[in-house]
Amino acid sequence: MLVLAARRFGAMVLIMAVISLILFLIFETDKLAVAGKVLGPYSTIEQRELWLEQHGYNRPFFVRYGEWVWSALHGDFGTSIRFKVPVSDLLWERLANTGLLAGLVFLFMIPLSLTLGVLAGMREGSKTDRLISLVSIVTTSTPEFASAAFLVALFVFHLGWLPGTSAMTSGFDPWQLVLPVTVLVLYDFGYVARMTRASMAEVMTSQYIRTAILKGLPRSRVILVHALRNALIAPFTVIVLQLNWLLSGVIVVEVFFAYKGFGSLLYEAATFGDIFLIEACTIVAVFVAVFSQFISDIGYMLLNPRIRFR
Amino acid sequence: MRYGERRLHPGVYEMQEQLRRGRCDRREFLRTVCLLGVSASAAYAMAGRILGERLVDPVAAQAAKQPCRGGILRVSMEVPEIRDPATFDWVQKSNCTRHMLEYLTYTGPDGVTRPYLAERWEASEDLKTWTFYLRRGVKWSNGDTFNADDVVFNFTRWLDPKTGSSNLGLFSAMTEEYDTGEKNPDGTPKKGRRMLAGAVEKVDEFTVRLHLSRPSLSIPENLWNYPTAIVHRGFDEHGSDIFKWPVGTGPYSIADYAVGAKCILKRRPGTYWGETLDDPYIGGPIWLDEIHYYDHGAASAAQLAAFASGQVDMVHEFGKDSYQMAQAIPGAVVYDARTAHTCVMRMQVDVKPFDDWRVRRAIQLCCDASVYPDLIYFGRGMVGEHHHVAPIHPEYFKLPPLKQDHEQARKLLAEAGYGNGLTISIDCGNTNGPWQQQMAELFREQLRPAGITLNINVMPPSQYWEIWTKTPFGVTEWYHRPLGTMVLSLAYRCGVPWNESHYCNPDFEAALDAAEATLDVEQRRRLMEKVESILQHDAVIVQPLWIPRLYAAHQRVRNLVPDPSGYHLFHRVWIDAC
Repeated sequence: MLVLAARRFGAMVLIMAVISLILFLIFETDKLAVAGKVLGPYSTIEQRELWLEQHGYNRPFFVRYGEWVWSALHGDFGTSIRFKVPVSDLLWERLANTGLLAGLVFLFMIPLSLTLGVLAGMREGSKTDRLISLVSIVTTSTPEFASAAFLVALFVFHLGWLPGTSAMTSGFDPWQLVLPVTVLVLYDFGYVARMTRASMAEVMTSQYIRTAILKGLPRSRVILVHALRNALIAPFTVIVLQLNWLLSGVIVVEVFFAYKGFGSLLYEAATFGDIFLIEACTIVAVFVAVFSQFISDIGYMLLNPRIRFR
Repeated sequence: MRYGERRLHPGVYEMQEQLRRGRCDRREFLRTVCLLGVSASAAYAMAGRILGERLVDPVAAQAAKQPCRGGILRVSMEVPEIRDPATFDWVQKSNCTRHMLEYLTYTGPDGVTRPYLAERWEASEDLKTWTFYLRRGVKWSNGDTFNADDVVFNFTRWLDPKTGSSNLGLFSAMTEEYDTGEKNPDGTPKKGRRMLAGAVEKVDEFTVRLHLSRPSLSIPENLWNYPTAIVHRGFDEHGSDIFKWPVGTGPYSIADYAVGAKCILKRRPGTYWGETLDDPYIGGPIWLDEIHYYDHGAASAAQLAAFASGQVDMVHEFGKDSYQMAQAIPGAVVYDARTAHTCVMRMQVDVKPFDDWRVRRAIQLCCDASVYPDLIYFGRGMVGEHHHVAPIHPEYFKLPPLKQDHEQARKLLAEAGYGNGLTISIDCGNTNGPWQQQMAELFREQLRPAGITLNINVMPPSQYWEIWTKTPFGVTEWYHRPLGTMVLSLAYRCGVPWNESHYCNPDFEAALDAAEATLDVEQRRRLMEKVESILQHDAVIVQPLWIPRLYAAHQRVRNLVPDPSGYHLFHRVWIDAC
């Protein structure tokens, strides 16, 4: 098992290294363009060349790359061109905001989707199963921008119950989180519920469950003690992989509600062409992607003895 | 009162439309809507909103609610980086500083340029020497007296190539080309622009004189352009960063600021110099305690959502697609300022088939501009007349309307050798929204009866900006400018960098020169008849529409004046029941 974990970890580091090199190649090969971005469109060629000289850009590519990786490992990603502050100041704050959003989404989404998934999977084809499946499929197939617009039209414009944006301009306000969390939970719970249902339905048809039922055990005991643990292995992986989506895939929701999170930061960096910020955000997003994959692999091994002892 | 108020007599809406399109004048509008049961003060308010003027009804002025001091105005607007006002390239940047840093002049929403930090100015007969007399008694927030040194410092700074200010182009009549001492990649000497020696002269403590190398009419207007805010003469000694050294002459000061998040302005203690001034827009008492700008991103959906739920009192600007949504918000007043912002479908006059005047004229004759505001902008905006001077420009001369004439168009095409039809294609980048494409599609239908087939080649905005001066036929967006002559000089003079149509007509330029050398507006308007007729007759552009600038504020925000430029100046604004 340790060997497997180490191998996974090695692959993770390798992926990060390759992506960082590609990133650096894309953004920093054209040195003059970097200087032009930093100094603005009205800067002269002399000013740009002077800036390049002062900031060590005239050294060989791999020296610059090595130095960049070294600083990044120490949390120093340079200074944002758009926001004029160190990238790390922005990055951790925005990550924390998105972390809060993701945490709240998990808090509501996991119990909801697991409960619904188990209820549906317990008796495949029952009325409960049909209803839950229908709701799950409808909510999951509605894109976030559509449900966000619908909810805003209803709760902000029509009823006037909820604030329309979540920029937290006058300090933290929990009400401002209601709409973005709702949109994300609506979009995501159906998928996890469907996965749980499939897994549960499969377990319920297995031989040991039949044996347990035939032994005369109460149905609640069969489900809670025997079925649930095995049925939750697949949803666990799915849920951990949602972490990746919740950190870097919620651009639409964050921009829609003007929430100052990681997704909107990535969006602003990309639209503004803020090179150092794009590099930092991409590296962090890649790290979250491969790390959540790593966690889900390890977790799966721990939960599933068939993999653990192979 | 809101737009879209349903209890009014239907004739009132019709009159509003007519006034908006310039089909009736202000006096006729007021007389008619009052006859239709609208109170005089409401009628003045309507006219003011449509024409971009203040409430001027003296009876209403007395009866109106008393403004109260205090309150915070919260505005949803992008908050960009604002270090050095000379390098501003967005109106939003200047809005963050306009209540702190002031300008020498001020162009009102009515298009008239008035004195601000300059008390008055004079131009020489040949418009090459401009003398500005500065206001006395204006203090900087650090206690220093505002004087000629500040103005000389700012001009010197703007026109220094090291500053990197776009003012270098704005005041090009005060600059010269020089050899930078370096070489271009092709070996030719690299040229730059810098201030002419002695272009700005300090006459005395409160008088500054500008010496130009050629006549320029728009110096006062240029001094209200957003990168010409006057900073303290010690600005560079204190790090050239207005947020770190927030010294200004205006009534407010920046208290808190974060790029992409917020800009908080608070009223400075003490008396503001402008409070004793007799001016309809900037004089008199200052009412608001604070002005807050919050950044909800450029997406108008988020800005309007913040507005709808009362998180802000005003939205800086929104697109036409959000118009109906904005109107539906309870308590919202939607402002549609008339502007000189437009799109021209321009033809390159040296590229086949557009090198033949008969072809261009035939294309132009197919256009029935009167339908565009209704079909594209919900009846907002104004009808264009294919000469790029807007009805709101002070020197606008009204030409007889150009009628759609398919018969004549077919005749001209046949003469030009396209009797069997003509197929052309237009490049469209939708640089400020899909309405540009809608305009081209509408025009395609109007071209069809004359046997012209128009293909519309849609591309991303960034791609269009790469080819806008190169494409033979394209839809190009032109921003609002306070004077009609400014854009004509930029776009239709022989060989200038932004002459995208390659148009070159000495008669046109002579007429434009004559207009630009005339300071008196009435006289200039008479001269513009020739300028506009030549450009329209030469059929360089098809320009069916002037678009409005849409924004919204809650009805508790009082005395807000629709401004075509999007510049904020809230000196006379107050919050009801503050």
